[in-house]
Amino acid sequence: MNVAATITQQPGEASVHQARQSTETTEARELSGSQILCEALVREGVELLYGYPGGAIMPFYDALTSYPSLHHVLVRHEQAAAHAADGYARATGKVGVCVATSGPGATNLVTGLATAYMDSTPIVAITGQVARPFIGRDAFQETDILGVTLPITKHNFLVLRVEELAETVHEAFRLARSGRPGPVVIDVPKDVQFSKTQYRVSASASSIEHFSASRTPHPSEGTIAEAAQLIARAQRPLIMSGHGVILAKAYAELRAFAEKTNIPVINTLLGLSGFPSTHPLAIGMPGMHGPAHVNHAIGVADLIIGVGLRFDDRVTGKVSEFAPHARIIHIDIDPSEMHKVKRAVVPIVADAREALERLTEVVEPGEHSIWMNEVRSWEAENNERSASIQRNQEYPDPTTILEAIGAETNGDAIIVTDVGQHQMWTARHYTWTRPNSHITSGGLGTMGFSLPAAMGVKMGIPDATVWVVAGDGGIQMNIQELATLRQEGIAVKVAIMNNGYLGMVRQWQHFFHGGNYSETPITGPDYIKLAEAYGLTGMRVTRREEVTAAVRKAMETEGTVIIDFVIESEANVYPMVAPGAAITNMIEEKPEENAGHD
Amino acid sequence: MTDQAAPVERSGQSDAPSGSARSHTLIVFANDRHGTLDRIVSVLRRRRAKTQGFTIGRSELPNVVRITIVMDDSEVAVEHLIEQLRKVVDVQQIANLSSERTVARELALIKVNSGESQHSSEIIELGHLFGAHVVDVTTQTVTLEVTGSEEKVEKLVNSLQSYGIREVARTGSVAMTRGEEGI
Repeated sequence: MNVAATITQQPGEASVHQARQSTETTEARELSGSQILCEALVREGVELLYGYPGGAIMPFYDALTSYPSLHHVLVRHEQAAAHAADGYARATGKVGVCVATSGPGATNLVTGLATAYMDSTPIVAITGQVARPFIGRDAFQETDILGVTLPITKHNFLVLRVEELAETVHEAFRLARSGRPGPVVIDVPKDVQFSKTQYRVSASASSIEHFSASRTPHPSEGTIAEAAQLIARAQRPLIMSGHGVILAKAYAELRAFAEKTNIPVINTLLGLSGFPSTHPLAIGMPGMHGPAHVNHAIGVADLIIGVGLRFDDRVTGKVSEFAPHARIIHIDIDPSEMHKVKRAVVPIVADAREALERLTEVVEPGEHSIWMNEVRSWEAENNERSASIQRNQEYPDPTTILEAIGAETNGDAIIVTDVGQHQMWTARHYTWTRPNSHITSGGLGTMGFSLPAAMGVKMGIPDATVWVVAGDGGIQMNIQELATLRQEGIAVKVAIMNNGYLGMVRQWQHFFHGGNYSETPITGPDYIKLAEAYGLTGMRVTRREEVTAAVRKAMETEGTVIIDFVIESEANVYPMVAPGAAITNMIEEKPEENAGHD
Repeated sequence: MTDQAAPVERSGQSDAPSGSARSHTLIVFANDRHGTLDRIVSVLRRRRAKTQGFTIGRSELPNVVRITIVMDDSEVAVEHLIEQLRKVVDVQQIANLSSERTVARELALIKVNSGESQHSSEIIELGHLFGAHVVDVTTQTVTLEVTGSEEKVEKLVNSLQSYGIREVARTGSVAMTRGEEGI
């Protein structure tokens, strides 16, 4: 059998080697499973863990205090541990780590693992498991977490022999960060954590080769040449850039490619901040809440160069009417994404960075000013129409809030959003100039993601200013993490766009359920008192002219600050494409609609 | 796919245009590790593969199992499924065997009512026509073992129906390419 998978060294591995040097020893020592877990984490370059102790993981927590380089952050709910590890991973490109006990501890990680899986982010979750003799006997706090997480992880392990523990940890890290990244679970029975064995730092991290999952494929010369030919012939080409560009840190390569070919660039939700939104070639976000000119451009384009995206249904709308005149060049590291939704004329299975680099070398310089002017004229028309609509001027509005955050941070903040209307407003109206400054749960759409994820972002990049933008629904889903922020002294700034509704669901009810606002009105706490109760600072802003001063004050105030922006209660995100409809068939804002909401 | 898609449809490219489905035989080599089978079956379930047969056994390599999956589906759905299966970490190799180059066999054990003694000789004779061996005889039953293509096993089972079949145990197909080349 020919199993010829070659494993390409990943960027993260440099730190592994450095970490290894510091603990390198050729002598075997007798260590417990818990100590081996810690040793292996240190060797992987881990500095931060988010977790919560409990019965089946207690031996690990006992060993942890002997490893001061492993900084453990005690979250208030395991879901937050997974999101924090995810936020850390997205911001730094390194593997995030979370820890939980068996049973409920492990199942509480599930939403976080699914979130990371959908957005291809590298995290490793270590879960305690009941002792081996109890497995399968419905023991106290026993859950088959391997079975539970099987479809939402890239891979998972149950370690049944302490001798395999170290290698399993290294394999888990390599799997998490290689190829298309993803979450990996290591389930360690309590008695394996106690068991002792001779531990020796081996010369190679692992000898196991994988057929596909950890491979970084290289673009074939044939497909690159074919792509270059299609690009040279195209009259109305578009680049669609997704999360893969950010995961590959291919910012410069994307820019070089776009500038050489002069092709307009669209960023998907998870692709935002992969290409500066101030760039003359940047035209916006596609899909369900993309601006009309972008969706129209897709509707008439003759070539789409999709880079590191998976043609999600929120991007394509009705697939058969998505880009009906376009041929598709699809660059993705995961071969199973090719032809999954749209048949690609030229599939390029490769890392976005390498593919863009090769493509830029081969393509002829291009010129598309007529096409670009056409797109810009649609944009101007939309802007003009939008500006002509009378709007309430009293309330703080999303655009003003986002502009204030941008202005007060010189565009250098990292913005972590939750899920819903505010997420779409932020995606659309914030000016993305800092690479990888937009962190959101795009694929799974996990409410409650933002606050814990921001914790990981801030700890991963301590000198960055981190703003959470959340709705009043989502912020209440992991609000308990304010205690963690306080305990760890982590400073993130939180902007709540508070409209007293589960706004996006209310918007759908408005358009698709006859305005039946079933269970969407929602109240919240007094956020000023809440912040104070946690030892933090809270503010409330009810008038538009107070927005900038409040944002400035939040920046000047030490520690975590929450601003409760009381926004218009029934504002909608426009335009909107109905689910299952063609993206060129958009619901646009009507002048009368905003006449008199309170 | 979308909220309004009918539940019976499959997403994107996976729907076979009517009449384009045909039988595919996939051979999967996978590490014999904890949960490997779950992972493979889970992909088949999630992708709604139209699985007709699933056979697992040892291969020529230690700690590597050989799985034969027979499914009816469109070319594009099978292609996509193969790429999904490749992503299972413990899957080492997959091949889609085209039927003209493939030898596929299954084994069946068939327990038939013999009732009176002349029936048992009839049953045994019928079995011989299909190359079946007698593996067990009682005063009431004859048990035959037959190996062959699915069609052949099907035919024998049908021929024995009139005597009254008590039990049929079929392995499902295993398959291999003809000629010197391996997979």
